[in-house]
Amino acid sequence: MFKIKMSDAKLWKNLITAIAALVDEASFNVDLEAIRLRAMDPSHVAMVDFELSKTIFDEFVSEESTKLCINTSEMLKLLRRVGSDESIELSVDPKTARLNMVLRSKYTRTFSMATLEPSSEEPPTPKLSFNSRVKTTATFMRDAIDDAMRISDYVKLEASQEKFTIESKGDLGSASIEVEKGSEEILNLDVKEPSRATFSLNFLSEMIKAASSVSDIVTVEFSTNMPVRLSLELPQQGKFQYYLAPYKE
Amino acid sequence: MNEETSFSEFADLSEALEKTSKRNEKKRLISNFLLKLREDEIKPAVTFLVGRPFVEADSRILEVGGRTLYRIMGKSKQETLIQKPLTILNVKEYFEEVAKATGKKSRKRKENIIKGLLSQTTSLETKYLLRILQGELKIGVVEGMMLEGISEATSINLELIQRCNMLLGSVGEVARIALNIGREALEKIGLQLFKPIKPMLAEMSYNLVEVLKYNGGKTAFEYKFDGARIQIHKKGDEIRIFSRRLNDVTESLPDIVELAKTEVIAKNTLVEGEVVAIGSEDRPLPFQDLMRRFRRVHEVGSMTREIPLKLYLFDILFLEGETLIDVPYVERWSLLNQTCGSHLLAKRIITDNLEEVNAFLKSAIKAGHEGLMAKALNSNYTPGIRGKKWFKIKPTEHLDLLIAAAEWGYGRRIGWLSNYHLAARDEETGEFLMLGKTFKGLADNEFKEMTRRLEEIKISEDNYTVYVKPEIVVEVAYNEIQKSPHYKSGFALRFARITQIRDDKGPTDVDTIGRIKVLYEKQFETKSKVTLRQQL
Repeated sequence: MFKIKMSDAKLWKNLITAIAALVDEASFNVDLEAIRLRAMDPSHVAMVDFELSKTIFDEFVSEESTKLCINTSEMLKLLRRVGSDESIELSVDPKTARLNMVLRSKYTRTFSMATLEPSSEEPPTPKLSFNSRVKTTATFMRDAIDDAMRISDYVKLEASQEKFTIESKGDLGSASIEVEKGSEEILNLDVKEPSRATFSLNFLSEMIKAASSVSDIVTVEFSTNMPVRLSLELPQQGKFQYYLAPYKE
Repeated sequence: MNEETSFSEFADLSEALEKTSKRNEKKRLISNFLLKLREDEIKPAVTFLVGRPFVEADSRILEVGGRTLYRIMGKSKQETLIQKPLTILNVKEYFEEVAKATGKKSRKRKENIIKGLLSQTTSLETKYLLRILQGELKIGVVEGMMLEGISEATSINLELIQRCNMLLGSVGEVARIALNIGREALEKIGLQLFKPIKPMLAEMSYNLVEVLKYNGGKTAFEYKFDGARIQIHKKGDEIRIFSRRLNDVTESLPDIVELAKTEVIAKNTLVEGEVVAIGSEDRPLPFQDLMRRFRRVHEVGSMTREIPLKLYLFDILFLEGETLIDVPYVERWSLLNQTCGSHLLAKRIITDNLEEVNAFLKSAIKAGHEGLMAKALNSNYTPGIRGKKWFKIKPTEHLDLLIAAAEWGYGRRIGWLSNYHLAARDEETGEFLMLGKTFKGLADNEFKEMTRRLEEIKISEDNYTVYVKPEIVVEVAYNEIQKSPHYKSGFALRFARITQIRDDKGPTDVDTIGRIKVLYEKQFETKSKVTLRQQL
């Protein structure tokens, strides 16, 4: 038996969109306490680590540990017209193994979709320590990444005690977006050691775009030439983090 | 189970194989490597070694152009989150992920996956990985060599291994069974209905006297049709039809399905034949019209009326549980005759009389067909093999060649890729070697269509020339084969012109340099003096 209910269907849609940025087939682990997903994109360059504990849901019925695997783009097709006044209810019919999705507002919409064979085992959480931690607004990150994309496919993140810089260099020009400690856009700048690393905008832009629809605040953590972690702020006990491996220069 | 074999061992082997040209050495290297592999690695490793990302019967494709690969290569390296040595099975999984990416963002996704893969490889691994991605390993290991390696590793006789390869159509699968299960499992392999089998191929012959002599007199001659070869699988009321390239074409041939249901008496059988498009007065239509039927998925009904087909059967390979490929030709023919109405059988004579054959050839041409097939009476059926058991006899000289590259046209052909580089296959190395160029033979709409198709399979491009993946095969008519210092093949075609686009044929069907050599020599039987004088 598995059934969850959330009053904000739009949040669910945005979370699925954020997962879909990396994986087509999402394999959720559901146990008595929470729903979790940790998955790498097929190229093993990026990872998503997601968890929503039962307290976030209006209703959370799970009698055993199970796996629920769905095709994210199929689910998003059904969620396309979701409004912010809608609630969502997900349950699996044990007989048919189909996922039922009920969206309620002034009227009730019920969808049913196929579930998939759960895929292979979960990747481990990368063991990383971060020398720089930048807590910033999602809007700033989105705009900065957008600027960088006009120049190149890659972007360099750089943090010092004083400032956080996003830089890109291309054949035709360069861009540098700087924000200093104390600016409204920086909620916290914690740098143990100056850090810099380069990342693919292919991935980063998708991640930031998805992140900004889920959360107003993004925490960017990295060290020199090491993977970056982007943490989104979720209501109460939720976790949504992206990891992205760097580009060797 | 043992540890997984690293991809670097595969790359080392490939390098060693590329460096030696000695067959025995190659065989030994392959055999040693096969014996080291884990059970689940044999199939992918063998498949990679013959230069394919997936086994032959697997229709998945990577759809990653050479240009994309080149672009990915040119950049600094993307790292991955997990860093450990790449294994053969990892590579297989990556390929599966690449093939899986479809839809709107698939190109980007495929690119990202390959970037992730290439970021974990050493330069030697990268070299061979790229070659697999491009469908050619260039280490001089063709299928035949691989089969010998399997035989060496397992001490199972080569004939059995070759037979199973013909039946299964997958050298990786044969290796898996031979190494993991053993001889007995191989001996039990037979044809399975609804699993297509590679068709047996014929050699071209220009000398009827020789054919008769080779077959020791009495030989069967069948009309050779200008159609498309098909195999009809029948299991009770269910019919599936496969093309020469083993694609399921059942949906586009409802009339043939109906015919097979009513006219083929046997319950479970596999019969082989040719479908020919019929125009007015029952005369065959050009090959292109037939191919239109094959590609058609929608509106099959109207097409069935517009282009009616005629079916000619000429072989039977399976009957009520028995695989018949080892049964002699004459017996197969009589089984076929009992299985379906004789009005469906290809026109045929058995004779040792040259005049009779010539008259029969003339009647075939007159009826609008291509020529004759000569078949040895006691010959078995060798799927996928071009041997001296069947001969094609055509009145004009044609070659099936590959379009390896194309040049942008001038004048009225501007904007089209209209000058085609024609290449034959070097059976030793698997390389395609150029024999000449032609811009003759295609109609305007065909140029347009060809341009579109070539651009889709483009590998690279320089000023005027677009180089493409070995995919498109054309039938080329020519007047003479000349020696050429200009081309690597050593030969050039005189007055080459494209007579047909052979979408039913693939790069392995392309005529070989060996054949070109034979044809070149043959020419001197009729005009040796002239050439001598020219040389003097």
